[in-house]
Amino acid sequence: MNGVLAVLLLVAQQPGAPPGRVAASLTRLFGPGARVDTLRVDSFTVMRVSRADSLLGFAAVGNVPGKDQPITFLVAVDPADRLRDVDILVYREPYGGEVAYEAWRRQFRGKGTGDSLRVGREIRSISGATISVHAVTLGVRRLLAQLTAWHQSGAIQ
Amino acid sequence: MAKAGCKWALGLALLSVVPRVCAAQERTTLGGYGEVHYSNPTGPSTPPVVNLARFVVYLAHSFDARLALRSELEVEDAKVEGGAAGGEVSLEQAYLDYRLSDGLTIRTGLVLPPVGIINETHEPPTFNGVDRPGFDHDVIPTTWREIGIGAVGTMPGGGGLVYRVYLVNGLRAAGFSDAEGIRGGRQEGRQASFANPSITGRLEWARPGWKVGGSFWYGGTADTNTAVGTGSFGAPVTLLAVDARHDVGAFALRGVLAGISVSDAQAINAAYGQSVGSRIAGGYIEVACNVLRALAPASSQKVDAFVRHERYDTQADVPVGVTRDRALARRITTLGLTYKPTWNTAFKGDYQLVRNAAGAGEHDVLSFGVGYQF
Repeated sequence: MNGVLAVLLLVAQQPGAPPGRVAASLTRLFGPGARVDTLRVDSFTVMRVSRADSLLGFAAVGNVPGKDQPITFLVAVDPADRLRDVDILVYREPYGGEVAYEAWRRQFRGKGTGDSLRVGREIRSISGATISVHAVTLGVRRLLAQLTAWHQSGAIQ
Repeated sequence: MAKAGCKWALGLALLSVVPRVCAAQERTTLGGYGEVHYSNPTGPSTPPVVNLARFVVYLAHSFDARLALRSELEVEDAKVEGGAAGGEVSLEQAYLDYRLSDGLTIRTGLVLPPVGIINETHEPPTFNGVDRPGFDHDVIPTTWREIGIGAVGTMPGGGGLVYRVYLVNGLRAAGFSDAEGIRGGRQEGRQASFANPSITGRLEWARPGWKVGGSFWYGGTADTNTAVGTGSFGAPVTLLAVDARHDVGAFALRGVLAGISVSDAQAINAAYGQSVGSRIAGGYIEVACNVLRALAPASSQKVDAFVRHERYDTQADVPVGVTRDRALARRITTLGLTYKPTWNTAFKGDYQLVRNAAGAGEHDVLSFGVGYQF
């Protein structure tokens, strides 16, 4: 419980993203027509995605501070707790918007909590977007760990 | 009674909604960067110098989800004193961003012309070498900032192109010089003449490990001096630049090329008694290797060994009446190390070979420095 609280403090879900953006992101990641149920773990919202009674995965929205604005992103995992993809839902910074590019985000696909996600190694950086690259990588690592821990403990299923 | 209950309920509703909205949107952020230098040029009459080159406070405030202020207040050389040389307190940038969509943000205020690499990305941990490249002083006059309005955003179509374009106040030819080109012509937001509105912009393409950009500046420089030029675009200056940054494995490469045409250099020289070149050109290439990657593969720290070679000439072409000073055709080679315990702190050391085509006043410089950003 203490562990969960500590993690909750690290990934803030406010500010949120427009519901349309979240829906579009889930459609892109899991295909059209998937069923989305909202689960609550303490005050945290996790989306459970399924189709015809089979679990497709989980997704959650998180925020990390960029240089002066929060970056709102979505992390989606499959039932084996592997990253399906990362989406940048709202980007508010003056520079560094390249973290929303598919070419950068796809570096996260298939990674699990056992994989190392370090900028400059597994995750290539982008010049001029250093702050955002570090911020989003850190945020994804934390949210992935959070979702995986909850899934393995049965808090989400 | 019912009325009072209604008010009470409304009050509760406001209480529960307003703080969340404020917390989510209106916020003030503090940041900063700075650098301290030690430099020791060879030669008997040039003792080593230590200097707190820059101390910059970054202050940002978002008024709502779309509107934000961003500013950098800088103290150069640690101290400003009346009558004493050196030292400067100035705003490096101060602008409002109004974000309409991913594709369009309106930016207005004191902005950085988006030319080359260093002018916009100038925090010390982002570049190798204690001091910025000489090219980014004498050719692209960093930190270059002027007042204006413009648009920035991502180009539609998902091709990964980012643009920035601004209409700003112009340069003033009265400040141009032979050795530092257009540098002295910057107005930097201080009671700037808007007699010569100028345009500047950049198109940039990025991928993980890649960034390639092209940038320009075009505008008149005559101000109110009709002997130099007339009209909004009198005595125009045209700057074109390309830059590229590439990271692969332990290696990081970067290069910049720029050319500046000073169309009425002859009239400018006649009016102000200068020897300004009609063409200013040059560039540099730099290769860095993170040696820690081989020595300590698990470490997230970096030790970049680098070499940079700059070649530039502020009198690449001269107008009638000026004899080229070959000492202005400079070649600077810098060898050094940058130790980065974190990605946003840097301890630097380098050795520079400062040469020129005339072989005049050639010297070496040993430098050490620290820098940070947050």
